[in-house]
Amino acid sequence: MPSASTQAAAAARRAEALGARLPPLLVAAERVAATVAQGVHGRRRVGQGDSFWQFRRFIAGDPIGRIDWRQSAKSGRPAPDGWFIRETEWEAAQTVCLWRDTSASMRWRSRGAAVEKRERAGLLLLALASLLLRGGERVTMIAPDARPVSGRSGLDRLADALGTEADDDAGVPPHVSLPRHARVVLFGDFLSPLEEIQAAVGRLAAIPVSGYLLQILDPAEADLPYSGRIRFRGLEREGDTLIPRVEGVRHEYGRRLTAQQEGLAAICAAAAFGFAIHHTDHSPETALLGLYTALTAR
Amino acid sequence: MIFAAPWVLLALPALPLLWWLLRVTPPAPRSENFPAIRLLMGLHAREETPARTPWWLLLLRMVAATLVILALARPVLDAGSLLPGSGPVLLVVDNGWAAAGDWPRRMQAINTVLDRAERANRQVALLVTAPDETGAAPRIAAPSPVADLRPRTAALHPEPWPPDRAAAAIALAAWHQPGTAVVYLGDGLAHEGVPGSGPGQAPGSGSGQAPGSGPGQAPRSGPEQAFSGFAAALGQAGTVTELRSNAAPPARVLLPPRSEADRLVVRVAQAPQPLGSEATVLAQSGDGRTLARAVVNLSAGAGEGSASITLPPELRNRLTRLVLEGPPSAASVVLLDERWRRRPVGLLAGELATADTPFAGSLYYLRRALTPYTEVREADLATLLKREISVLILADRPLPEGAELDTLTKWVEQGGLLIRFAGPRTAEQPIGETDPLMPVKLLGGDRQLGGALSWAEPAGVAQFSASSPFAGLSVPDEVKVNRQVLAEPSAALSSHTWAALADGTPLVTEAARGAGRIVLFHVTANADWSNLPLSGLFVDMLRRLVAMSAGVAPTSDTAVLAPAETLDGYGLLGDPPQAATGLPANEIATTVASPRHPPGLYGPENGRRALNLGGNLAGLQATPPVAGARIEDYAAAVPEHALGPPLLAAALVLLALDLLVALGLRGLLRPSRVGVTVLLLGLASVPGAHALETDTNPALATRLGYIVTGDAQLDSVSRAGLEGLSDYVNRRTAATLVEPDPVEPGRTDLSYYPLLYWPIAPEAQGLAPEQAAALNDYMSRGGIILMDTRDSGSGAGFAPGAGSALQRVGQGLVVPPLAPLTTEHVLARAFYLLQDFPGRYTGDAVWVQRDQDRANDSVSPVIIGGNDWAAAWAVDSAGRNPYAVMPGGARQRTLAYRFGVNLVMYALTGNYKGDQVHVPAILQRLGQ
Repeated sequence: MPSASTQAAAAARRAEALGARLPPLLVAAERVAATVAQGVHGRRRVGQGDSFWQFRRFIAGDPIGRIDWRQSAKSGRPAPDGWFIRETEWEAAQTVCLWRDTSASMRWRSRGAAVEKRERAGLLLLALASLLLRGGERVTMIAPDARPVSGRSGLDRLADALGTEADDDAGVPPHVSLPRHARVVLFGDFLSPLEEIQAAVGRLAAIPVSGYLLQILDPAEADLPYSGRIRFRGLEREGDTLIPRVEGVRHEYGRRLTAQQEGLAAICAAAAFGFAIHHTDHSPETALLGLYTALTAR
Repeated sequence: MIFAAPWVLLALPALPLLWWLLRVTPPAPRSENFPAIRLLMGLHAREETPARTPWWLLLLRMVAATLVILALARPVLDAGSLLPGSGPVLLVVDNGWAAAGDWPRRMQAINTVLDRAERANRQVALLVTAPDETGAAPRIAAPSPVADLRPRTAALHPEPWPPDRAAAAIALAAWHQPGTAVVYLGDGLAHEGVPGSGPGQAPGSGSGQAPGSGPGQAPRSGPEQAFSGFAAALGQAGTVTELRSNAAPPARVLLPPRSEADRLVVRVAQAPQPLGSEATVLAQSGDGRTLARAVVNLSAGAGEGSASITLPPELRNRLTRLVLEGPPSAASVVLLDERWRRRPVGLLAGELATADTPFAGSLYYLRRALTPYTEVREADLATLLKREISVLILADRPLPEGAELDTLTKWVEQGGLLIRFAGPRTAEQPIGETDPLMPVKLLGGDRQLGGALSWAEPAGVAQFSASSPFAGLSVPDEVKVNRQVLAEPSAALSSHTWAALADGTPLVTEAARGAGRIVLFHVTANADWSNLPLSGLFVDMLRRLVAMSAGVAPTSDTAVLAPAETLDGYGLLGDPPQAATGLPANEIATTVASPRHPPGLYGPENGRRALNLGGNLAGLQATPPVAGARIEDYAAAVPEHALGPPLLAAALVLLALDLLVALGLRGLLRPSRVGVTVLLLGLASVPGAHALETDTNPALATRLGYIVTGDAQLDSVSRAGLEGLSDYVNRRTAATLVEPDPVEPGRTDLSYYPLLYWPIAPEAQGLAPEQAAALNDYMSRGGIILMDTRDSGSGAGFAPGAGSALQRVGQGLVVPPLAPLTTEHVLARAFYLLQDFPGRYTGDAVWVQRDQDRANDSVSPVIIGGNDWAAAWAVDSAGRNPYAVMPGGARQRTLAYRFGVNLVMYALTGNYKGDQVHVPAILQRLGQ
């Protein structure tokens, strides 16, 4: 049994390999969460950064070292009027908050499926984080005592954090304070009642943050491929139910599932969240590409 | 088909109820974990098909239930009809010799009768008509439930003597139970009563219930009367059902063969049959090989048939039994004793020119007398003695000193019977010169009785004394002796005399020489000196003499011969039963086999006499059916089959199938799991692999052996050592040795072991004679013993006294002259080239046979040393060597193993590697 850290490192390498074919992800951000961390998002204000913003005249008290002597010489005016200070644009990093559903229902796969939903969620989360970190963004988990990470080493810390995550049967992100205008990406099966999900998303939208919601489903959950007389048991103490003839309820189930997904889509649209569905028997690249597109589009 | 418990069938109408119950009870649902259960809650299928047991599963369960009900009703296929009457069943079984032929079928018939009685819940009494081994007369066992009787009937077996119907009739007369059904399983032959087994002859052993008048006379009545009386008694006891079989082979008896000049005439008797048939007789030697085969034709209506077996005398002498091919029984075996042996007789005359002259030649009468009974050979002495010959007759042939006398003396001392006849040439022998091959000292010249110049009348022959082998032969008055040679009177003369004249002068004298014997007729072999050769007495005397040859000590006829080995009901020789008693020799010819005198071999080992069952049986007569009896053919009847157990088994199989199906419907049976389970079960049944295979049959694999010393520590070292050596040999050479065996000389068969390791314990005592004999035999047949005193070199102090122990144990062994083992010896080059031969210790010389013995492939039968090789070879369970070598080093251990490999190779291949010494010379020659 390899140790937890080895496992985490392996998961990080897998996620990196998954995102290797995509360019670094720069989150499209109109407003960036207020942080002092240097990043790539210009704030259209003077501040710390690498990009040139403007020249301004020297005011007494400015440090001598900041005078752009070339520009001052070009002006042809005597000092100190002809002295110019070179100012750069304030460039800050966007903070992306990631969350993965750790409830028992995620820790399940049907007989034909290759991976559990939780495992797929973790992979996608890490792959996304890897892309973001390569893009210079800050990534944090939505958890009570999570610290944002950045840089290459951040991915390993994130993977470690994922590996030691405690199970939580809530099915929705916890209440934690997030930076305003941060971006949020939520991975989960979102099979809980829509009201709970709406409350959670509304809470996030009020911070305000915008984001993306990816519903990860097992193919069996999508299709209900059972037949005959089956007693279904819930994984989160929902109780059990005996279906005398499963093939007879397949259509009705599909309808209910669609309703759930439509409800989710509506919730997301109202909160300016993106929404997508991913099945664990589909390739994770597709889901990652969708996330990439969605996060760079705005 | 009938049902033994038909009321169980009442459960059959309950089957529809079971059908309904099974139908409305759906199978247990499969169970699945499902996260999206919230979406499923409260869902109901639109078309509600009630979950029901599938029809085929229902059918399976119904069939299983039906089978169980049918099985419990105990159906019986081919059941026999009910027995008449309502009282107990009396089962009367003939178990004499004649029943042995189809005994298994008779047992089946008995079991069928018991089954029928058991079904009718009737008690059964058993009467077997042959007296048992103790000689007790037949008696009826008290009626008992069938279950109690079955062990008794299972132990029934045919006896090697005839049934005693008369005594059985007496037992039947005492049976008074109303409503009895008598079932009689007869052998279909009328038998004489058995003398010595009836209550009259053996008081105390018989039953006391017989009325006083009957028993004394009954056993001696004729066969037919005995049977009719018996049949009448059967009829009186109850309603008789007789089981007979027309298909069964007729009971046959092999009669003792007639010995003729060049052949053996075998005879087979049976009750006359309407159709002709054939019987095959095999002549077998003592080791069970069939040396000849004769087909006897039994024509229709004939009670006896014969055929002849012609064999060379040497082969004929080896015959020990004749066997009638077919089912074994005591009547199909005839044991042959000395009476049937052929003894070749050699004839040699003193006067060769006239020996063959008709009526006058010295061999003429001898040849005429001997030819019908024995094989007669005539040639010169050297030619005669070249082949096996039992008796040599010299007619008036003096034996001068010389080669001929020496050969003849040797032959006589080895067991030959030399018969000499006197005559003119013998009488002319010079006085003082004694012929060493004469039984008595002769006076010179001859004595003439009667004739022109004599007053004496020709003398007659006196009656033979009881100690003479001629005893019992009647002496005709007309036998007269005119001339004879006289023996020198001495005190011992009369004890050497077998026949004398009326005046007491000896006519036939004898003397033992070594294992053989010399007999002298004091008259000529032709009619010159007496008319004895003209009489029948001459033929009888010669026959007796020839019969005496080849080591048969003449036993006086009244001597009681103890039973040595007797036949059982199936014709197998075994220990005599307790009731068997000795038999006077002269009564063997007239004795009918009985519990007191079962057929078999009697007498001492060197003079066995055979009592055969067929010897004194009266002509065999078939019996008519018992009057008024219902006849059933037991051979044609198909045995009863209880169908209950197979039906129950089928139901169990179906229910097991049902269990699998139910598990499958619940989703508990996954193909992968089933596969893994089957695979695991299969793996579990594969026996584990071992480094050295263990096998109990020593003949199937090569293995080493070690002689058990009784010292557990020493034996475990030997065992571990030989295991280590076997393992090493297996790894290094093409030889494959399995686990070594402990052996005990005299108890274990040593012939399987190429090499024995023998550690000599200091306290070892001398060998018991049988142990020494076994080891000597082993060594003489190419076995090798490695004797290890474990005291050489640095081990000298560890086993004090081993040297003297070796002397003690070696006393009984035939050990050849020994010499130290050198590097020139084959043992030093049999596999590895060795310079020295260390074991745990090293130093002292190892001793092997000094001289190359070509007979044994130059293999030394014994190798003696003190290097404690087993300890050096020993390997414990972890694969380590538990005993350190001294002085030490891996090299010494390797050399010890190499010596072991050489030893094994030497034992397995002999001097094969000895030829390698010539290789350089051969190569050199090839090169030139």
